[in-house]
Amino acid sequence: MSAVIETLKLSKWYGNVLGLSDVSLEIAPGVTGLLGPNGAGKSTFLKLITGQIKPSIGSVRIFDQKIKNNQALFSRIGFCPEHDSFYEDMTGWVFLTSLLKLQGFSSPEIESRAAKALDIVELTADQDRLIRAYSRGMRQRLKFAQAIAHEPDIIILDEPLSGLDPLGKRKLIRLIKSYRDEGKTVIVSSHVLPEIEALTRTIILIHQGKVFAKGDIHYIRDLIETHPHMVAVSCSDPRGLAGQLLGEEFVLKVHFGADGRSFLVETDNRDKFFGRLLSLIVKSRVEVEEITSPDDNLQAVFDYLVGK
Amino acid sequence: MKPSRSAGIQSFLNAVGRVFAVFFRQGRKARRTRFFFLFSFLPVAVSLVIKFNQFFSEKPGQESGYLFTNLIMLFYLQMIILILSLFYGTSVCSEEVEGKTLPYLVTRPVPKPAVVLGKYLAYTAVMIWMVTLGLVLSFAVLNLDRLLDPSLYGLLGRYLGVLILGLIAYGAFFTFLGSFLKRSIFFGLLFSFGWENVIQYFPGSTQRLAIAHYLKSFLPPASPGRFSFLTFRLEQSRPGIALLMLLLITAAFLALACLAFSIKEYNLED
Repeated sequence: MSAVIETLKLSKWYGNVLGLSDVSLEIAPGVTGLLGPNGAGKSTFLKLITGQIKPSIGSVRIFDQKIKNNQALFSRIGFCPEHDSFYEDMTGWVFLTSLLKLQGFSSPEIESRAAKALDIVELTADQDRLIRAYSRGMRQRLKFAQAIAHEPDIIILDEPLSGLDPLGKRKLIRLIKSYRDEGKTVIVSSHVLPEIEALTRTIILIHQGKVFAKGDIHYIRDLIETHPHMVAVSCSDPRGLAGQLLGEEFVLKVHFGADGRSFLVETDNRDKFFGRLLSLIVKSRVEVEEITSPDDNLQAVFDYLVGK
Repeated sequence: MKPSRSAGIQSFLNAVGRVFAVFFRQGRKARRTRFFFLFSFLPVAVSLVIKFNQFFSEKPGQESGYLFTNLIMLFYLQMIILILSLFYGTSVCSEEVEGKTLPYLVTRPVPKPAVVLGKYLAYTAVMIWMVTLGLVLSFAVLNLDRLLDPSLYGLLGRYLGVLILGLIAYGAFFTFLGSFLKRSIFFGLLFSFGWENVIQYFPGSTQRLAIAHYLKSFLPPASPGRFSFLTFRLEQSRPGIALLMLLLITAAFLALACLAFSIKEYNLED
């Protein structure tokens, strides 16, 4: 499939601070997940491809056109910023119709498009309330509505799922997938792996301003699988439970906590480990307070990948 | 195919018009407008107090025209239009940066200079609306007994024109400050109540470095033998020159503001 967005040796410095370095990418229609820890350069990349900032080196082409001073191209892009910021004195309706007016639509078109977008994000009932009175989830949905109201070909979403409750997240994920099915190009940034995993298989891993990996999500999954996992268990009988686990080949190390109520297991097969742990808990009727995975986050995976 | 020059200008003006429509509405409805509306009505309250005092006092009061020039116009020209244009002018760019709403504007098919010009025009219109209402009411209250005198309205038009020109010129200057500096309000206050209020009283050509000098050049000269704060030490420029200078100041600072807004990459981080 031909690329919609192409970047060539894209780099950005903020003074002496590196924002993005030597990023050459081709993004095709469908959903692409931009994954990286906070401060990795995801927002910088999104700002560069939406023409909000200029690259220090390199270029961006969208639909084979340069983005700089290309106003017509902005009609085809919808951008949902990361910040929870609005014109607070406006109602949801006025906010949407105002931004549609800036797009250059006629009044009847503005009204129909705003009504449709509000309906999609289920804010029709609250459209006449001031934005300052909206909940975090409503604000997030309104931000999404302004990105899709003009029916762009490219939808760029910077951390769109943050602040949404689980139900809201599920709805938005379904919605984003529907845009993929329509053949649109959607780029979603997140620092939460399961969020991206729920949206797409095509990912770009970004870390410290560099593209670390790109391609199918199985790639990162495999990396995670080969990376020893830490699982912390707090329970009434840590030594008894850990003793039963020690015989398993997928358990690499066990550390006991100083509090006498917890232990930390290092395993190279998370799925097998959890299966065995749960059966042991049920069988031995141990009272479990908490099971956590202290390194089951993106930062830990990146630390592992960069060899920290 | 490249659009023709006239089509390009037309499209730019359309974009300015769209930004104006959005922000004129927003400017009128904003909470701060209610505050500044009350603020710009302070001279009306002062006029009412003077009128009541004249009405109930047995002593003959100062004549209304003299009071209007030396109190109400002084209030408007040296305080209200400065404060209004400072807050509205700097906010043209800085409110988008401080409120982190900038991405909503710069990812639309609207050139950045059109954003600046559209917002500037919208906020200037809001300020003109506020000041006109306050000035006309103050004038009417102080001249309640002479409202049928047609010569009064020529004077009112002249005063109003001076204030509108002031809002336009100061607004452009503060729009530039807001697009360029982070602490634009602080520097704007220094300019308004430092530079402008001092330089205009300097003798010779130095006073021509203040916007206030050109505004005051349109005011009628003080009556012989009577002191006037507004025309104190004023060495008037010719009205044509004053108008040209004000238009040049406006155009220059608006152009600089558009340039700064187009080139500068604003940091929206906390």
